[in-house]
Amino acid sequence: MAKSSYSKVDEYGFERSENFNYESYDAFMSDYMRVLTRRAQRWNALENNIFRNTSVLKRFIRKGIPIDRRTDVWMRISGADKIKQNSQYSYSYMKKQIHNKAIIETIKIDLPRTFPDNIYFISNEALPEMLFGVLATFAHQNKEVGYCQGLNYITGLLLLATKDEESSFWLLKAIVDQILPQYYISTMTGLLTDLDVLDDLISKYEPVVSRHIKAIGMPWAMGTTKWFICIFAEVLPTETVYRIWDCLFYEGSKIIFRVAITLIRLHKPEILGATELGELMMCFKAMRSSEAVIDCHQFMKDVFKLSGNLSKNSIQKLREKYKK
Amino acid sequence: MSSGASGGGGGGGAASGGGNSNHQRGAAQRPNGQTQNKICQFKLVLLGESAVGKSSLVLRFVKGQFHEYQESTIGAAFLTQTICLDDTTVKFEIWDTAGQERYHSLAPMYYRGAQAAIVVYDITNQDTFGRAKTWVKELQRQASPTIVIALAGNKQDLANKRMVEYEEAQAYADENGLLFMETSAKTAMNVSEIFLAIARKLPKNDQSGGGGGGAGGSSQGRRLAEGDSGSRGPAGACCK
Repeated sequence: MAKSSYSKVDEYGFERSENFNYESYDAFMSDYMRVLTRRAQRWNALENNIFRNTSVLKRFIRKGIPIDRRTDVWMRISGADKIKQNSQYSYSYMKKQIHNKAIIETIKIDLPRTFPDNIYFISNEALPEMLFGVLATFAHQNKEVGYCQGLNYITGLLLLATKDEESSFWLLKAIVDQILPQYYISTMTGLLTDLDVLDDLISKYEPVVSRHIKAIGMPWAMGTTKWFICIFAEVLPTETVYRIWDCLFYEGSKIIFRVAITLIRLHKPEILGATELGELMMCFKAMRSSEAVIDCHQFMKDVFKLSGNLSKNSIQKLREKYKK
Repeated sequence: MSSGASGGGGGGGAASGGGNSNHQRGAAQRPNGQTQNKICQFKLVLLGESAVGKSSLVLRFVKGQFHEYQESTIGAAFLTQTICLDDTTVKFEIWDTAGQERYHSLAPMYYRGAQAAIVVYDITNQDTFGRAKTWVKELQRQASPTIVIALAGNKQDLANKRMVEYEEAQAYADENGLLFMETSAKTAMNVSEIFLAIARKLPKNDQSGGGGGGAGGSSQGRRLAEGDSGSRGPAGACCK
């Protein structure tokens, strides 16, 4: 029964893996559908008043932004709207300025390599074209970053959520220019700093795990570079990623550390059970399909419970400390 | 037990990885599943420009598959594959790295302590061959002095669009003491062969773990000594 009621392709067009657990997914989905309906009603009831009270807004966002409001809410809470208003040039104008052959070539190589298992990306031309538009326009107007692999996955998921090229561009700009500055530049110093910040946080939150991982000899960059660079795109299930991004756009990059700490806490027994580097890597890879992350609603509750009090200030101080 | 858990493609073994190349299988086969008397584990890293086919070579070798459009690798991917070579079971721990230049600063953690490296270029793109040479230089300078380096000219199936001559690459490989093969992850040509050639060249006097430098090498050596009990899985899988 459970098997036949779900397609081999998920709601965002991704093919489900061969070992996809339909039964546990079914158990989760029957509850989650109710959650989604309820959240949609609550958001609709408040209409635009939702933006008046920041603590209500934060609570609502943590419980998930309804799909049909995601684009507008993301644009507003991320500051992308403001960036757009203050921009000297329109998106369509900037898009016309694309000229750099090397950048164009590099991006074109990655287009068919972005979500080749997603029916929306492989079955029509429109999405890859939009992906090209966003990435190439972005690369031309932010020359310090240009094109960094990983942005293709972020933009791909932005497009699948918003179905809108221009919004995706401004949201990408909010992410790269404001939320994660220095991550995607050629030296990737922002990433390197945050890897050290994570190391510091884990040594405080989970000293046993921290020591174990050090004893095995895994630099955090090995297990978690993709977490940071892709903001969990291609790392966690799509719906879970969108729920994380809901919070990312409102609360900023701190959420990445919250999620990272949570993933490590939820998989602590597996991590401690690994006796060598290879096993540890497999353990990190397997987090992608663990039940704890598929149930995105419970996972987001865990994120705010298990990562405890994590102030912007403390992250800021750690970033200063490990500044490259 | 550990081998079973991490054996991404353990079930397939080299036989399935290089299913098209029967002549190689003979060399890697053991009669009637006798217990192997030696198990060696080696850390191997793939380096090279973006989109030359690093991940595709690994996918072909480990799972016997090929995807026309292989997702770009962010950070690095980790896979294992076990092959049999005469009386030795060789387990490769494979680090497949991101090719884009800006990920370069993360590469040392993957080649540090590696006993083998495959530096990949695309025979239809001269720039990627230049980049491969840069990688070779970096490995010669900074990796373990005993590292076995193989140069792979990939996308041999596109030989009609060739921009890098076979002889040129062969001469470069000879000058630098590298193994060299042109490969095709798409047709499987020379894929298991290049891994086998590396396995042959690696020192297999058990305790040494290949003599690789760094902490990784020595800890692997230790594991190998006690590895016999856990060896039935992969040995059986690849030698039956």
